Amino acid sequence: MNTLIQFNNIRISLSRKPILNIEKLIIPSHQCTLMTGRNGSGKTTLFKIMSGLLKPDHTTVEYQGLTMDWKQAKPYIQKDIIYLHQQPYLFDASVAENIAYGLHRNGENKSVAHNKVMQALDWANLSHLAHRSAKQLSGGEKQRVALTRARILSPRLLLLDEPTASMDIEAKKQTSELLQRLKTEGVSIMISSHETHTVDHIADHHLHLEEGVLTSLELKSNTDNVTVLNPSRHTK
Amino acid sequence: MNDLSQASINAFQLLISGNSDIWEIISLSFGVSFSAILIATPPALVIAFFLAFFQFRLRRACIALFNTFMSVPAVIIGLTLYLMLSRSGPLGDLKLLFTQQAMIIGQILLCFPLLVAMAHASFQAADRRAWETAITLGAKPWRAFFTLIYEVRFGLIAAIVAGFGRVIAEIGCSMMVGGNILHATRNIPTAIALETSKGEFAQGIALGMVLLVLSLSLNAGVSIFQGKGELRS
Ligand SMILES: Nc1ncnc2c1ncn2[C@@H]1O[C@H](COP(=O)(O)OP(=O)(O)O)[C@@H](O)[C@H]1O
Ligand SMILES: [Mg+2]
Repeated sequence: MNTLIQFNNIRISLSRKPILNIEKLIIPSHQCTLMTGRNGSGKTTLFKIMSGLLKPDHTTVEYQGLTMDWKQAKPYIQKDIIYLHQQPYLFDASVAENIAYGLHRNGENKSVAHNKVMQALDWANLSHLAHRSAKQLSGGEKQRVALTRARILSPRLLLLDEPTASMDIEAKKQTSELLQRLKTEGVSIMISSHETHTVDHIADHHLHLEEGVLTSLELKSNTDNVTVLNPSRHTK
Repeated sequence: MNDLSQASINAFQLLISGNSDIWEIISLSFGVSFSAILIATPPALVIAFFLAFFQFRLRRACIALFNTFMSVPAVIIGLTLYLMLSRSGPLGDLKLLFTQQAMIIGQILLCFPLLVAMAHASFQAADRRAWETAITLGAKPWRAFFTLIYEVRFGLIAAIVAGFGRVIAEIGCSMMVGGNILHATRNIPTAIALETSKGEFAQGIALGMVLLVLSLSLNAGVSIFQGKGELRS
């Protein structure tokens, strides 16, 4: 198992209340890590720290052979790790413009960017929605646009904050399928969930967050009492 | 009464005939107020954004300060600025008193707190996820800031329109630091006051109509844009 990135001693207090105290967090590359924890256990906080959006009180980051503090690591993790909100936020623009948003940072020329967007739309089966206003999409469609908008930037790691929490079965299936494909493409994925019994079948590891402490659990493989997020695996 | 209707008819004729004095006053008014808004808006937006999105000491005090300054009467701002700019004042060497620049400065001071307060309310209502999404997709803070401006544009336009409405109609400050000099610093409100006091109602009414129509449409504009902003979010 190769390590993509490792965080040591993540500590953060919000409004003087200690939220996280994580000794070690190892994210393996090309794999999917499931992180469970009840509401308020700090999943979102952890993801925001990992993606460079929220400064912790302390952490060290081991990445690409370097050991850095959070501030030094920020440019690296902001470039390679993308955080997706529980309810994705789409800009007040068309679907295609939303997907193109991040391409600006690479200074891509217009026609290259355009082609990339077309391919990405096709990849996610969103071509028919290209010119629709993103604000009018359904929750599942928004999630797929957000995933596509992230994927186009070739991130190393995607952090998905309770991606399927408020979705119907059909939307869950489509999202799971896209995640599966992302994983095959070599993107590392971390998914959070507040249902401890949920097992997403694309997950390779299971972490559990409780009282600010992270523990590693055996991945439950019996599906008797768990919600199945990705049924495709059963048929194989 | 007859006098008044005659004056109103004259007023219409003045406007339609393209009376050069009247249109000069109107365009001067617009020029000064547009400049003031144009200069005041960018820093006001930046300050409003910081007040809404960053935690720092005295943040609440700053917000309260801008809200309070909104209600300072124009004539007080005029008086203060007059004292600063007058020959013996600390800025007297700039020789700005009774110039359009002085009027612009006065109007900037007048609309700035309003712009900050209204823009702050817009940013406050903006979705925090918009900022985080822009950053996580690799936008530099400046670009994320402009993205956010775009996301709350209707509220910001409402703020700018309201600010313009305030300065285009104010009289106290323009009178004090502009001096109502024809061809130089006479704008719509000061002209109305002067013409009326001279008993020449036609020009006063003509300018009054322009100002009234303008103020009504600006206010309607504020409501429309605020409504649009709410619909979107
Ligand atoms: N800005 C904040 N200020 C104070 N406390 C916060 C803030 N954000 C989150 N918290 C607290 O941190 C804890 C973890 O929140 P969060 O990371 O959102 O949990 P989860 O995503 O697992 O539901 C909660 O108890 C929450 O109340
Ligand atoms: Mg959460």
